[in-house]
Order: sequence, then structure tokens, then C-alpha cells
Amino acid sequence: MTVLSTQNLTKKYSRLTALDQLNFEIEEGMVFGLLGPNGSGKTTTLGMLLGVLQPTSGTYQWFQKAPSADSRKQIGAILETPCFYPYMTALQNLKVVAAIKECGTDNIDNTLKTVGLYERRNDPFKTYSLGMKQRLAIGAALLANPPVLILDEPTNGLDPQGIVEIRELVIQIARSGKTIIFASHLLDEVQKVCTDFMVLRKGKKLFQGNVKAALSDQRTVEVGASDLEALQRCLADFSGVQKLEIKDQKCLLTVLPEITTTHISTHLFDNKIVLNHLVEKEGSLEKQFLKILAEQ
Amino acid sequence: MKRLLQIEWLKLKHYRPFWILVGLYSVLIILVVSSIHPLFAFLSSKGANFQGIDLTIIPFYDFPDIWQNISFLSKFFKVFLAFIVIISVSTEISNKTLRQGIIDGMSKKDWLSAKLVLIGSLSLGGGLLLFCGGLITGFIHSHPDGYGLILYNVQFLLAYVLEVFTYLSFALLITLIVRRTGLVMVGLLMYTFAFEPFIWVFLAHPPDNFNFPAWTAIIGDHLPVMSLNSLIRVPYQKYALREYQDYVAIKDVVVVIAWLVFYIGTSYWILKRRDL
Repeated sequence: MTVLSTQNLTKKYSRLTALDQLNFEIEEGMVFGLLGPNGSGKTTTLGMLLGVLQPTSGTYQWFQKAPSADSRKQIGAILETPCFYPYMTALQNLKVVAAIKECGTDNIDNTLKTVGLYERRNDPFKTYSLGMKQRLAIGAALLANPPVLILDEPTNGLDPQGIVEIRELVIQIARSGKTIIFASHLLDEVQKVCTDFMVLRKGKKLFQGNVKAALSDQRTVEVGASDLEALQRCLADFSGVQKLEIKDQKCLLTVLPEITTTHISTHLFDNKIVLNHLVEKEGSLEKQFLKILAEQ
Repeated sequence: MKRLLQIEWLKLKHYRPFWILVGLYSVLIILVVSSIHPLFAFLSSKGANFQGIDLTIIPFYDFPDIWQNISFLSKFFKVFLAFIVIISVSTEISNKTLRQGIIDGMSKKDWLSAKLVLIGSLSLGGGLLLFCGGLITGFIHSHPDGYGLILYNVQFLLAYVLEVFTYLSFALLITLIVRRTGLVMVGLLMYTFAFEPFIWVFLAHPPDNFNFPAWTAIIGDHLPVMSLNSLIRVPYQKYALREYQDYVAIKDVVVVIAWLVFYIGTSYWILKRRDL
């Protein structure tokens, strides 16, 4: 099922076009990464999809229906910074969220436990650290057990441990079958969590695709031997190699998807070449991202 | 409606400034309905009088005059209720909880309606407090001849509720526009008690070198605060046996409702257009 689709979504601020004719669709169960440098239009896009920014033109549908407050009740979202009543405790704040979402208060204790704030539930929000505030925001997003989650830079400002915690949480939530939209400028993050991604720059969509497909394009094998020339000659004969480069006294191979390191090693062994280095390298979204930007 | 009231209640019940302002307002209303006779007695003992009349014989709390007497005095304290609205709205903007509420599943119309439900509750609460206080103090002080007329002139309490509701909606609109708690509070106080009365006097009685046409005085009468003041007119001349308006004029009600529609409509228009 299509969870979200947009048609020519556009946002203009007097002279600046923050988002220019964006079209995309998100299917149920995707963990969708929204990528782009700071100021590329990620938050603007999410702001419009969540009803807080008025699109200059264009339309969008949640769950194949015109957007409404009721469709937003089916979405758990954090946009930029966590926003709560500072004088109220975590528990009291979540009660407000529950009343707005009309989801009942039964799930509050569980949610607080999930995000690790149960012990601090009766402390005012203003006494929380940034990491705790962020976790409460994620808790609020999860409260109504929505089928769709939107997380805008959820690890922003967190310490390394906090980042790992949030990432684990997102992976865990994704496994439960929820659709997640994940905006970040941290490519590594998206690579670890997302199934699909879209790249925005200066308000324009540059690319949309599957993370695995993008990464498999990028798989390389590093091979090293004491006799580099013989190695190079021998590898050039090997049918599975698509591309061969020499870098730092090693051969860098781009190979067909079915070729494993075992195939390479066997081939070289048969040709009596002894290896001192054999490493398979997964591609990184970062490389892909830079490639996409360079292609423009 | 119940949901919106519940949402506002959850937000405010843990908020200390809300309770301080409610407390302050309630104390002042209770003073209005309880302290006038003791005050008159005290002033009288110091030799004061009201245009030659002994203050202690003024039947301030007699049915049915009591309703106009106390609702006129109480209108000055509606600013404390307006402060509640100002704080409630401006903190939602500065804490971005307005934005989060929309994200979580309120429509902008819901949000505005919730604030109007809050305003309605405060106005009705104020009216109810005045009514109960008036009944009690009336039974204590009123001449028994008035008992048959207890509910006569209760229209002034309804006018009071309308006045407070409209004034608080005015505060809501100003807060949505200006967005700064302190500035709106000071501004509203100055406007209500200084600027607009000054403009009114200036328009009604211009200095000799200004040759204003007659209709400028009419404008003065229809300014936001002056329109509200026209609902419940000063009743105290009656004790000097002078004429006074002892009813709420339909025309004044219509003007106030027109302002009310303007405040709510403009608030909605601003909210609808604004990026949060």
C-alpha cells in the first residue's frame, strides 16, 4: 500500500525556493531515508507533510487520502527539537499527547520503559538532558502505536552512546513492520537503518532508490601480492572482474555480484600467486551520495 | 468539545502561574461582593460621604440592584483572566507546543477552539463566582423586600460573561499577533486603562483648536474596550438620585458581538496562514 505520495510539492519563501516540485511515494514497510545537506529542504518537506507549513503549491496524500488532522493521528513524528511543556513531567506531557491523539493512557508506562525514562517519569521535562528530551520525543511519537513514524534528525546533539541507543531503537521499530521516514544528513546513519532513500539538494530531488541496490554497485575487493605485476596480469584474465585499478600497491576490483572472495582466491591459487591481502569492501552510501552529487 | 477542554485542563492544571492568576481574580471578586459595606462603614466613620448622603445607608448589596453594582465593579479585574489567556497562548508559541500539537493530530481549528473553550470556561467561571457571591451577600445584606426580585436584572451577569469572553478573545488575537508574553501583558494593561480612555476623551471632547466632526465621538464609543464598557453602564448615580441606564442595551450587545466575531475570525485567519 502506498503510505504517502506527493505531487509537485513546492514551498517558496519570498525569493528562496525551499522545495521545488517534489514528487515521491513511500510504500508500507519502507524505512525511508531523506538525505541532503543542511538547508536542502528536508525539514521543509516534513513540515508540509505534517501540516505545520503551508505548501505554496502542490498536494500530498497520507494513506491515499487528502491530509487531515485525523491522518496525523496515525503518524508519530518528531520535527527538529523535542517540544514539550517544560514545567510538566514526562508522564503529564504524554497524557497531553494521548488526549490529542485520542489513544488512551494505557500505553504510557510501556512507552516510557521503551525509551528508558520510566524512572524519571515524575521529573519535570526542563530538568532533562538533551538525550532524554530526544528520547521522550521518540516516546511521544510511539505512544499511539502509529503505523508511520517520522524522525527528523533524531540523533542530533546526542552523544555517541545516545546515537547508538536511538539507532538500535529505530532498527527495532522498523522490524515491527512500521513505515519510517528518517531525515538525516548523516549518511552512515541512513546506510545502517534504511531500506530506501532519496537525496535532496537545494530543494530538488536528485535521486531516489533502494539502499541495497545502491550499495551493491559499490562493492569492491582489494587484493595484494608481493608480485604486483603478475597479480595484475592474472586478474585481468579473470572473467568476473569488471574493473581493475591499482591503488596503494594493491589491486582494487569491481566484480560481478556472484563473484565472491573464494572465487578470486581459488583462481589466483591455481595460477600459483600467493596473496598477502584479500578484503571485500561493501560500498558506502557516502560514496554513492558524492557520486550522485557529482553527476549533477 | 470535551476532548478540547480536557487537553487545556491537562496543560494548565500543573501550571503555577495559572493558579496564581485564578486565585488573584477570585480574591478580588470575593472582595467586590463582600467588602463594600464594611468599606462604606469605615469611610463613614472617617467622615466621608457620597454627595451629602451617609455612605452606610447606601443599599449597595440589595436585590436586584446588586447585579449591576457588582458586575460593574468586577469588570476591572477581567485583565487577570486575560493574563491567563496571554500566558497560555504565548508559551504554546514559544515552547513550540502549538506546532507539536498540530503535528500530533490537532487541526488549527481544534487548537483555536480549545483556546476558546478555555476562554469560555474562564468567563463562565467568573460569572458563576459573581452569581454565587452575589446571592450570598445579597441574602445577608438585602432588604427582605428585594427577595422577590433576586433574579431580576441577572441580565447584567450574562452581559458580564459576554464582556469577559470578548475581552479574552481580544487578548488571544493580540497574543497571536505580538507573541511576547510581557509585551502583550503590559500593552494590554496600558491600552485598556490608558490609551483607549485617552483616545475616547480626545475624540469625545476634542480641544478647541481641533474641529472634529460629530461622528468622531461615535468612533470613540465603538473602540474595542469602550464597546465593552458600554455593556454594563455605571449605576452609582442612582444613589444621588440621578438618571442611569438600568438595562443592557441590545445595540451595545450587537456591537460587542461584532467585535467578538472579528477577533475570532482574524485569529483563525492568522493561524491558518501562518507557518508554525
